[in-house]
Amino acid sequence: MLALQILIDGFAISALYGLGAIGFTLIFGVSGVLNLSHGGIMVVAAITAWAVAGDLHAGTYIGSAAGIVAGLVMALATYGLVVRPIQRSSVIPRDETEIFVLTGTLLWGIMIQEAIAFFFTTNPITVVPMIGGVVNLAGVRVPNNEIMIAGICWLTIGLLWLLVNRTRAGRVLLAASINPRGLTLLGFELSTVYRSVWMIYGVLAGLAGVLLATFLGARSDNIGQLTASAFSIVVLGGLGSVSGSLIAAYVVGYLETLTAYLVAPTLRTIPALLLLVLVVYLRPQGLLGRR
Amino acid sequence: MTLRTPWRTLVLGAIIVALGFLPLAASAYVLSVLTVAYYFAVYAMSWDLLFGFAGEVNFGPTFLIGLGAYAAGLLNNEGVPLWLCVIAGGVAALAGGVLLAVPALRLRGPYFGLVTLVAVLVLQQIVVIFASVTGGEIGLSVADVLSIDPGPNYWYAYGFMLVCGAILVTLSRSALGLILQASGQDAVEAAALGFNVAKHKMAAFCISAVFSGLAGGMVVFYMGTVSVDSVLDIAVGVQVIIAAVLGGRRTIVGAAFGAVFLILADELLRPLGQLNTFLVAAVALVTILFFPDGFMGLLARPGART
Amino acid sequence: MTAFSPRTDMLEAEPAVHLLPPRLDVSGLTKRFGGLVAVKDLSISIAPGEILGLIGPNGSGKSTAMKLIMGIEKPDAGVVRLDGTDLAGLPTHQIARAGIGIVFQHSRPLHRQTVLENIKLALLPDRLTRIFASRAIHDRAREIAERVGLGAVMQRRPGSLPFADLRRLELARAIARDPRVVLVDEPFAGLTAPELRSFSALIDDFRREGRAVLLVDHNVKGVSALVDRVVAMYLGEKIAEGSAGEVMRDPTVRRVYLGGSLETHVRDSAALQAAPVLLDVDAVSVFYGKAQALETVSLHVREGEFVSVVGLNGAGKSTLFNAISGLVRSTGAISWAGRNLAGLTPAAIARSGIVQCPETRELFGALSVQENLDLGGQHQPVSQTRDRLAWLFELFPILKSRRTQAARTLSGGEQQMLAIARALMMNPRLLILDEPTLGLAPVILEQLSLALGRLRETTPITVLLGEQNVTFALPHADRVYVLEQARIVWEGDPARFAAEAGAAYL
Repeated sequence: MLALQILIDGFAISALYGLGAIGFTLIFGVSGVLNLSHGGIMVVAAITAWAVAGDLHAGTYIGSAAGIVAGLVMALATYGLVVRPIQRSSVIPRDETEIFVLTGTLLWGIMIQEAIAFFFTTNPITVVPMIGGVVNLAGVRVPNNEIMIAGICWLTIGLLWLLVNRTRAGRVLLAASINPRGLTLLGFELSTVYRSVWMIYGVLAGLAGVLLATFLGARSDNIGQLTASAFSIVVLGGLGSVSGSLIAAYVVGYLETLTAYLVAPTLRTIPALLLLVLVVYLRPQGLLGRR
Repeated sequence: MTLRTPWRTLVLGAIIVALGFLPLAASAYVLSVLTVAYYFAVYAMSWDLLFGFAGEVNFGPTFLIGLGAYAAGLLNNEGVPLWLCVIAGGVAALAGGVLLAVPALRLRGPYFGLVTLVAVLVLQQIVVIFASVTGGEIGLSVADVLSIDPGPNYWYAYGFMLVCGAILVTLSRSALGLILQASGQDAVEAAALGFNVAKHKMAAFCISAVFSGLAGGMVVFYMGTVSVDSVLDIAVGVQVIIAAVLGGRRTIVGAAFGAVFLILADELLRPLGQLNTFLVAAVALVTILFFPDGFMGLLARPGART
Repeated sequence: MTAFSPRTDMLEAEPAVHLLPPRLDVSGLTKRFGGLVAVKDLSISIAPGEILGLIGPNGSGKSTAMKLIMGIEKPDAGVVRLDGTDLAGLPTHQIARAGIGIVFQHSRPLHRQTVLENIKLALLPDRLTRIFASRAIHDRAREIAERVGLGAVMQRRPGSLPFADLRRLELARAIARDPRVVLVDEPFAGLTAPELRSFSALIDDFRREGRAVLLVDHNVKGVSALVDRVVAMYLGEKIAEGSAGEVMRDPTVRRVYLGGSLETHVRDSAALQAAPVLLDVDAVSVFYGKAQALETVSLHVREGEFVSVVGLNGAGKSTLFNAISGLVRSTGAISWAGRNLAGLTPAAIARSGIVQCPETRELFGALSVQENLDLGGQHQPVSQTRDRLAWLFELFPILKSRRTQAARTLSGGEQQMLAIARALMMNPRLLILDEPTLGLAPVILEQLSLALGRLRETTPITVLLGEQNVTFALPHADRVYVLEQARIVWEGDPARFAAEAGAAYL
């Protein structure tokens, strides 16, 4: 049953894309930053999970946890070492800050990529899935891992939604994306808010990286492509819109899966790219974009 | 920042003349590194014209370079003479420049940057899909080359860089350059002074594109091959940006220095293996954090900046 | 010292009668931004050699009108005729080439070019093929630089120039275009008296050269000596037209600016005078780049007092409040309940009890009324917030009925009430209100006034109110400061204000 296979595979990969993209768009919406080292953070998390699980013989659970922590640390490092110094710099003209942040995160991403290649080579790594084995769904063999990935992604997305919409802390994040000055007037330190967002982002990107490693594997050469697909999805969905990113992730995920199965695996990325070109020319703010 | 002080002009003149005589003294290896550096300098100078003088950040300069390179290579394999191919490369890149200019005039900030990146990705995919014609990921080789000796190749590159540099610098100092700067810095004020900003930005894109495309075409006939890795890689594009920023934004001349520095540093650090790219990227990051005005900024005397 | 000495002799002079056809003839100019009508059916005409003042407070539409004429915004309706040719809707550069020049309020030179090169730019034709500027252009640029008084600094870059010279550069660029009509936005903001005189002379030269000039400004007084006629705007419409004197005396204008008759409600001043000083602002100055927005301003507020800082738009009230709230850098000393505020982040200052409700309100438009209020109360103990919320809904009943609506769907007056309520949720010791009545209809002003009155009578809160509308501010004041062009020019109790200052305020 090819259709079912496509449906299930597409669902899992879209969920994974969605997780990564949501983190990316969260950072843009609240902190105003397009983090071009996004792929780097994901792969660092993946590699850490693999190294801890394998080399340190800690097993896959602890490995995965270590991977997520690595994501968190890398995100904070990106913020503290690259983004924040540029935003606060007295030597960089105010109207060029955005460009410098983009270039800075791009360079940082390259540094991460080369460092990983140096220490771990460019060979792909995979992390042993937490739940192994295969299950039979209506005639289609689905790895349990895929189901778990989809489940974890949606659980995380759900938790995030709860955080932002139902908790006081979450509402502060939402308010920060709408009007940072308003928050300052109400006595909230923006620096704390930004740090918190980057930490959440780190967890999301780390989790996405670890899951990716269990599903498709990860390697340092992939970093650019991971960043590219995250921002393609985010642009499609609308920069700053979390629900837009999620919808776009599914559009892209299914386009890729359909193309891989029905046309050719090497041409996977084409339809999404074409869609991106169309969107950029006809509706640059994306599906649900705010600006 | 001007080079009007006689001291600086003399030094620059001396360097230019000295470098011209290099093939008489230097090894083939040194010459080949510098040849690549000179073409890179043209990439960087064209980028700086667009950024510094029209205020547009092109995150995918390899789109224009790649168009020029592939157009030149493909035509040559159809039997078109070398120099016509180079010119065709310039024309192909010009078309690409116009294509990029259209969304640029309607999009702000990060959106336009993304468009330029997307353009590179799309071109990469087109090259890969039509691999039978373009050679795909492996690339294409061309029959003609500029020369088989390092000396003449060096002079072609050097001369090309000097000519392009002279034209770009003159443009930047010209009345047109003044209008371009105004358009890039403050579009509303430029319009209030009677300038059609859209027209001038389009002009900036076209100029930047033509030089990038010509340089891409020249590189094909220097290396004898063209491939995604050499002219269409995002990483190459990033290096172009770093070169221009390291050298000093909005100076044109700075971009040339930055490019030469970058290529030389890359070569010097090659023994370190994997780490050389890391180091170069790290240096670039530190530079943009602490010395955003690059080499030219450091050279300018403190008082002269106001 | 009185800063109010109306030059009645000048104001009573008959405006010159121009028999020439108008150079600039605007009629029916209209512009809508979404649901807001920024400019409504505006018609003005300026003859060659005439200087027309377009006056109005923030939000009156005068800046938008200027942008519409210059093509920076496209009008929804209306005609802009320059010597008979309709230019409405054309792109800015074509309007500029047709002969309309503009001097922006904020100087925006090219920073990497010299003064001379900046002026040369304005002389260049709109052609792609020009590589070298001709000798003639070079000479003309020098001539213009000399004319505006920049002869000595021609080769310097704008970054090294003082504020007044930057404004001269803007004038020079406008002159270079040889316009038939010149639009000048707030020509005198930030200038000292002698600089003002030389500027006025330069603008006067336009008159002698037969150009038509439109001066846009906040208040008539500043430009009265220069203009031939004045058009006053409010909420997008023309409300008065005539000589400067006639407009200043016009009852509609006075009501809109002052609000009407002046009343005071004085409280027990002895008790208030005995209260400790809560906020002490000592010789505070603020610079925005080169422009001085606040000049050694000193004031104090005692616990429990309601202090009003009155002044027209652009006088410096918002700058003063932003300096107190830590949102802009300032020199001088600001102390709060005895401790110096220097070094505290703006959020920390807000948490320490100084809560500002700024002119722009800074609401979270996409969030609901309830959510906005909740965020205001987030730093307070939960038990208190419930009571506070109930009290605020009683103070502003309309908010209760709209509590689930998104803040941006509220009307202007409702948004203002929400902004004040949200600030009050923070249980402030000092509430700073910046122009709460701006752009609001009289009915809403009534409600706001009532609410403010209740605050004054039933709570121990201290309030610092910045207002242009003196009629609104005076009944809620225990003491009054007058801020004019970055300086405190008057200080005293409300009764004295009504007697002394009120009449000449405009």
